[in-house]
Amino acid sequence: YNSAVLFFLSVFQQRIEIHKLRDGDNLILGFSIGGGIDQDSNSSQNPFSEDKTDKGIYVTRVSKGGPAEVAGLRMGDKIMQVNGWDMTMVTHDQARKKLTKKNEDVVRLLVTRKSLENAVRQSMMQH
Amino acid sequence: MMPIDRLADMEEKLRILEDLNMIYIRQIALSLKDSDIQKKIDYEIRMREGACKLLAACSQRDQALEASKSLLTCNARIMAYMSELQRMKEAQVMQRVARRSSDAGPMDDRSPCKGKVAISDLRIPLMWKDTEYFKNKGELHRCAVFCLLQLGGEIFDTDMVMVDRTLTDICFDNTIVFNKASPGFELQVELYSCCSEEDYSAGSTPRKLASKLSSSLGRSAGKKMRAALEPGASSPTSNRGGAAILLPVPSVPGPKYHLLAHTTLNLSHVQDSFRTHDLTITGNEECSYWLPLYGGVCCRLAAQPHCMTQQMMSGCLRVKLGGEPQGWTNVYGVLKGTNLFCYHQKEDMEANVEPVLTIGINKETRIRAAEKDPHSKAQNICITNQYGGEEVMHTLAADSREDTQRWMEAFWQQFYDMSQWRQCCDDLMKIELPSPRKPAIVTPKQGSLYHEMVIDTSDDIGTVTDILARRIEEFELRAQLGSPPHWMSLFDEDPPRSPHNHQHLPPHSPSPRLHSRQPRSPRCHRTPGLLSSNASLTSDSDSPAGVSPRFRQAWPPDTSSSSGRFRPRTLSLDAKLSTLRARGYGGFRCNCQPPTAGSGSPHPTQTALSCSSSTSSSSSSEGSNSQESDLGFSRPSGARHSLRSLRAKLDPRNWLQSQV
Repeated sequence: YNSAVLFFLSVFQQRIEIHKLRDGDNLILGFSIGGGIDQDSNSSQNPFSEDKTDKGIYVTRVSKGGPAEVAGLRMGDKIMQVNGWDMTMVTHDQARKKLTKKNEDVVRLLVTRKSLENAVRQSMMQH
Repeated sequence: MMPIDRLADMEEKLRILEDLNMIYIRQIALSLKDSDIQKKIDYEIRMREGACKLLAACSQRDQALEASKSLLTCNARIMAYMSELQRMKEAQVMQRVARRSSDAGPMDDRSPCKGKVAISDLRIPLMWKDTEYFKNKGELHRCAVFCLLQLGGEIFDTDMVMVDRTLTDICFDNTIVFNKASPGFELQVELYSCCSEEDYSAGSTPRKLASKLSSSLGRSAGKKMRAALEPGASSPTSNRGGAAILLPVPSVPGPKYHLLAHTTLNLSHVQDSFRTHDLTITGNEECSYWLPLYGGVCCRLAAQPHCMTQQMMSGCLRVKLGGEPQGWTNVYGVLKGTNLFCYHQKEDMEANVEPVLTIGINKETRIRAAEKDPHSKAQNICITNQYGGEEVMHTLAADSREDTQRWMEAFWQQFYDMSQWRQCCDDLMKIELPSPRKPAIVTPKQGSLYHEMVIDTSDDIGTVTDILARRIEEFELRAQLGSPPHWMSLFDEDPPRSPHNHQHLPPHSPSPRLHSRQPRSPRCHRTPGLLSSNASLTSDSDSPAGVSPRFRQAWPPDTSSSSGRFRPRTLSLDAKLSTLRARGYGGFRCNCQPPTAGSGSPHPTQTALSCSSSTSSSSSSEGSNSQESDLGFSRPSGARHSLRSLRAKLDPRNWLQSQV
């Protein structure tokens, strides 16, 4: 059972394509991130991660009506990849940089979502 | 510490040993009738000699580091070739033994196809501790690093990267492709590091040289020697295979790389995307080549087995299309990857015309030879696939029994390859061939505050005070001051106190440690906006600000030409400078802003004049005959931002969030 659940969890990753919004000289995505391997884990301030040793990059806020929300990003999503770059083991600043490259108009994220995991778990338990 | 004559003696012995080894190697290669490896070894030895000569001759550190890297790579390759020679020799001997004995093992074991394995986008995250950002020492701890990648007998090295605390990750842009990997491959990744401090000198004194050599023989080279000597030892260093042959590392002066971390990747790590793997770290914080690695390496490891990229079998076939029992169609079949493509004719395939029929050959496919058809000469081949829950069967026939046998063999081999290469056969992974070498692009350093604040010798506080002292003497200000300039008292044991001062500047430790821990809130803003709002700066954060603003803060109050009123300390230098200038000295320009209203002291007009001038981050030096007039900093705005975010990061109360 456990390996099957793990398989499903790995499968339930969502691909989200965000088209940045140009505001003058800035390119805006419309969300905030928290986390990073250089963040202090003792503060345990990440409300989204189940495992408190998880130092991944999480979406902490999504601006209403912004490009991220339109693309389907939700608060609590854990970002696994950005345009192919791994995000599971990056510093906070590195993650921010990968998202805010000035020469990129589009970022393609690979995220996992707890709600998806829960849904899968529940459906597994029913069988 | 080895005496020099013993050193020379040892070198001589090593050279003799080397020559002996070369003779031995050549003997083995000759007996194996393998001139290929022989040539490779000779080539590497020539390269190595060239690297040694270059190392001994070059004076620039960059050159020396590159040469040392080449040397290490050549050594690794030589060891690998020698191990291979040894293995081949052993295998030859074993074969002869086996042939002689009666129970020779089955010679027709199926072996899987080879493939291409590519590793790219290596990235090793670093984890500098908070305090690292704010080390007081002027020089950065820098290391030169590179990776050595070994698979089978092939060894490649990445480019060298300089690493210091302004980097958060070590990135290697190289894509490295190994062409003849078997599915059971082991790809060894080794990270080598060499300390590259400012005071490294290639042309050391004999004593330094001796100590370097004695220690170098003891460490990495010694380890390799020991590992190589042990038969069958699988050492973590790059030279496994138990080469009983020892090729001594020539002892040359120069920078030496040490193994910092390593890991081994195999088929289970292959994936068509980035993955993180654990690194085993050797060495500890005491080592000069130490870097705070986070403990993992991210990379993309892809594999293209030949069964996916090459035609494994091709030939004429007949296939039954439609339901008619006699409806055979002649096709030209090509087995490649997970498909059997059936073309109308061979020329179509070469012309890239679409095949008339494509039959999937994958893990789910079932192939069997049918019962002998009375109408045909040979057995039919039935291929069954599941397409969306439905079973679809194709019947094929070859022209002769031998052909049928060959096709069946090809299918079996394909299945075997797919079972061995596993996930690599689900889909073809993309491997980008490394593009022709571009000249190394020197990326401008990220606008890190601390890197740009590396103290130039001209900014050295000792120099400045010397110059100041000299100039004061020149202008005989001493007499007018009536006492030694008050900043001289900084070098006394107890700094002068005053109630006024106490209010503004908590006591600091006596100099000359002027850049030690300084009080909390900065008295003197170097440039507006740089130390922006956050008053909860820890004391450490002030230290990388460099010497110049620091000593501006540290100067005790100036009681010189003023009316004897106490001024806030921070203005003392400004006061001093403007005094000097007023006396026709000129040459100093103060970029200091007066303290904010919070400190609450009245500004003497004199200082106000000179201080209020800078509202921009100008480091203009008017009166350019003095180096130290360049007291300000000009920084790109990016650095300002990174300083702010760094500070926020360091505040343990906050879980840093960034808006993007």
